Amino acid sequence: MSIPGFGGGIEPIENTSGEWTTVEVTGFSEWRVEVPHRTILKFKVIDGIGEIFGTELPLNVELQVSGVKYAVYAPLSSGFKLEYKTLANKSVMTNEDEEISDYISNETQAHQAYINLHLGLQTIRQEIRDYNILNPQDVKKGPRVLIIGNPNSGKTSLAKILSSYANKMDSTPVLVNLNPRDGVFSLPGSISATPISDSLDIESANGWGFTTTSGSLIHNPKQPIVKNYGFSSINENLDLYKYQISKLGVTVLSRLEEDITIRNSGIIIDTPSLTIKDITIIENIVSDFEVNIIVVMGNERLLNDLKKKFKHKLDSQLQVIKVPISGGIAEVDDSFIRRSQEETIKEYFNGNYKTRLSPFKTDIDAKDLTIFKGVLSSDIASTLSFLPSADSYAADESDDKDDKDKTDDSLTKYYSLLTEPSSSNLDNSIMAITQLPQTSNPGKDLLNTSILGYVHISKYEDDKHKMKILLPFPGAFPKNVLISTNIGFNE
Amino acid sequence: MESGALIEDYAQSLNDLTFNSRVIIDNLTTIAKENANQADGIINVISKRIRSATPEQRLFALYLLDSICKNVGSPYNVLLEDSLPGLFSAVFQSNDDATRTKLVSVLQTWKTAKAKGTTSPLFSKICLNKIDNYLKKTGFQSSTPVSVSSIQNKLPGNQNKMVDEIDKLILVLDIKLQENPDIKTKERRSALFNLKALLLSGSVQPAEFPRIQATLNEMSSQISNNSTPQPISIVDGIFSNLIESGLVKVDRDPIPGSTPVYTLQFPKIKYIPPSKDISTSSTLQDILNANLHTSLHTTEYEKVKFEGLVTVSKQIANGGLQGFINTNKPTGVEINLLYEAKPSKCSICGKRFTTDGEGSNRKRLHLDWHFRINKKVATNASNVQSRNWYLDDYDWVKFRDDALLEFSTTSDSNGNGNGSGNNDVKDLIDFVTNNQYVVVPSTSSNMNNRCNICRETVKAIYKDDIGEWVWPGCIKVPGEGKNSRKIVHVSCFNETNKKRSADTSLHSRPKRERV
Repeated sequence: MSIPGFGGGIEPIENTSGEWTTVEVTGFSEWRVEVPHRTILKFKVIDGIGEIFGTELPLNVELQVSGVKYAVYAPLSSGFKLEYKTLANKSVMTNEDEEISDYISNETQAHQAYINLHLGLQTIRQEIRDYNILNPQDVKKGPRVLIIGNPNSGKTSLAKILSSYANKMDSTPVLVNLNPRDGVFSLPGSISATPISDSLDIESANGWGFTTTSGSLIHNPKQPIVKNYGFSSINENLDLYKYQISKLGVTVLSRLEEDITIRNSGIIIDTPSLTIKDITIIENIVSDFEVNIIVVMGNERLLNDLKKKFKHKLDSQLQVIKVPISGGIAEVDDSFIRRSQEETIKEYFNGNYKTRLSPFKTDIDAKDLTIFKGVLSSDIASTLSFLPSADSYAADESDDKDDKDKTDDSLTKYYSLLTEPSSSNLDNSIMAITQLPQTSNPGKDLLNTSILGYVHISKYEDDKHKMKILLPFPGAFPKNVLISTNIGFNE
Repeated sequence: MESGALIEDYAQSLNDLTFNSRVIIDNLTTIAKENANQADGIINVISKRIRSATPEQRLFALYLLDSICKNVGSPYNVLLEDSLPGLFSAVFQSNDDATRTKLVSVLQTWKTAKAKGTTSPLFSKICLNKIDNYLKKTGFQSSTPVSVSSIQNKLPGNQNKMVDEIDKLILVLDIKLQENPDIKTKERRSALFNLKALLLSGSVQPAEFPRIQATLNEMSSQISNNSTPQPISIVDGIFSNLIESGLVKVDRDPIPGSTPVYTLQFPKIKYIPPSKDISTSSTLQDILNANLHTSLHTTEYEKVKFEGLVTVSKQIANGGLQGFINTNKPTGVEINLLYEAKPSKCSICGKRFTTDGEGSNRKRLHLDWHFRINKKVATNASNVQSRNWYLDDYDWVKFRDDALLEFSTTSDSNGNGNGSGNNDVKDLIDFVTNNQYVVVPSTSSNMNNRCNICRETVKAIYKDDIGEWVWPGCIKVPGEGKNSRKIVHVSCFNETNKKRSADTSLHSRPKRERV
């Protein structure tokens, strides 16, 4: 029998398959491993120091991951020794290969550059911190870093490394995720900002960790601010995307004003893959978050294009720098991404193997609910085909106009009221609950609000106008304005 | 008045501003106030005046601008925003140090002044920062927080710093010269000038640095101890040291009273500095020099971190951030800031702590927290109370992440103390919660029940003092009949109630709790 408090709470998963395999990694090399979703990898560091994207692993503690592409790096010359074994993940049925693929690589120059980048940023943070102590009447902000690069160039890994290292050196940067595909401390379809006040949880979906929605766990939870976008791809409604970025920017900068620890630590922004064609988005991000360092992942051409575009700012306000791409980049395909999204959603409601959460199923009356839905730009374009669809300044102009006359029309480009909720448009979808109390005409407030949480709609009963929903935890269903997202999920 | 004529008149009156006349400045300010629609033109003619007047008179025109901005405010301060740094430098460049000091004091007032009738600053930070940067480049010191008096150079071999210090010494000598023109002081001043040139030319060997440095340090510390410095004696000190070092050679006839002749000795081997760009000095360097780091960084780890980062800061100052990223081979010291500088690693999660008092304390709290969580998971206690929705923007901005961490002093509603001072309140809550119960209705045969919210099974226990079977820690669902079996945990009820109140009023700000 296990004594409460001394471990043992984690249900041992049956040790079905075989022996532990030992891997020995010399200093500054890394063990790169790809684990398909249908396989579970159990591993533990048995000697030395190993870390995954800046998160140091505990010694002799068994960890378990599935559906990941990780690199365990040896940051010290002494290297590390690790044991692993694999088992089948019976809860997942996919047609991918069930074998893990792994190898050791000593080509980790990129990681050296990332450490250097971190040291550089940490030096700036130190300068800012000390300056702010000496000059309390004229406080400055820590570095605001924007990471830009192609698909599969390691942007998110770098964001993890930079924020984890910063945390280890007693800083608390705000990690901003602008890639609605991922759902960082949130669900896919959102953009979010989260102070990294503790280490990340490499065992959780996508390697981020839990939030206060899941409560107090094996790791300290994080507290994100979440904005709805509702789509996986930024091109579905660029205006809405940009609008939400600017709103998130305002909130994050306000936090920096108020919170001295976070102000000294700055911001780290991860993005979907953006190219020079997306310059208006990049410009928006730079101004919305007062970015002063752009980090380009290995792309010389993008580096130079950006330097040209931001020439007027380069002297004083902005630096554009380049870091190499890691040789260990593992490509992810659409089905892998979809699978990871599902894992993220599942974890939000049900937790993971270490932290089982009990979501709450209930039926609610849908009659009085106000449900909005993000507009697909392509739908608007067809009705307003005389407008230049690529006019990137459209959003700004209408913002000005809308501020003057606040009409319901202001929403048309972003959200539309779901007038006829039905099983065809709601079944098996994720719905965002906003912070707005129920009202049929929220106007601009709907754009400015943030997300309270998510529910999953498993069934909409057309005849009774009732919905079967899954809440993340027991309690009353918040009577707020809802936004139906384009993110689907089958339990 | 017709616009063109007004501007012309204004320009005319400006020409009278040949001395610091309160009357004229007040008068012109009033005209500017009454003709705010002509702001563009008025600013134009004043700017012209600043650029074209004799150096001395430029300051007065700038005073006028200052007066207009402070007394009238918008639109003048807004319009000036862009050109102000340029105008400032125009006055600054053309004047002597006395005027410069006045300029800097005007700049100081801009930093705190608010625009008339508003709470926003008179000029934006960007604008003022530009001026500050300009001042930094010129090397004019009196505006920077690290003043001459606090400089104590700790770092031998830093050429750049020594040049800065020599500049300051020259400044001191200048003041001395103004008070009391004296051949000796003049000579020393020019000797220092030469020494500076020597240092800048890079022809001094690093081996010579410590000696020069020591001399400079001595002088600086003497200045800092003396509210009324006595430059003569200090300069005598440095000068004799320079002579001793052989950098300055003295030719003197062996007759008492004869005037010595000083000549600079150039070392034979030319020293090539490691990098071309040595003009930038970082804030970390300033802090190190000003000896402030011991007070800013109190713990052992902070000190080690600071020292490690100072070397990074120096490299970045030389080669830029990009250069540093490309070329730096992280040293053991730098890497260890992430690992062994915090040697005490948690055996459960790998988090690192320092071994000093604070670190041990934090680790103790951390392990306590692991223990509590493990216990909770092991006993399968319901996690329901601690779960929460995301915050809204307002609450998130006000939120502090310390509340999430194991070191926080917020109460744990499960009653597991974490050494904080609010145990009393917690005990009270526990007491109330644990002493709530629902008597099992006599009609009921099933002793097991479920919480209506979290769906957890609740088993009845026999309560001796009242002689009844009860469901502990529960209350009846409000509004249900006497014999109803519908019960909820007190904690679940409180939690949902809190949420309900949050829903009904957007502006009520319920306290967020964590467990």
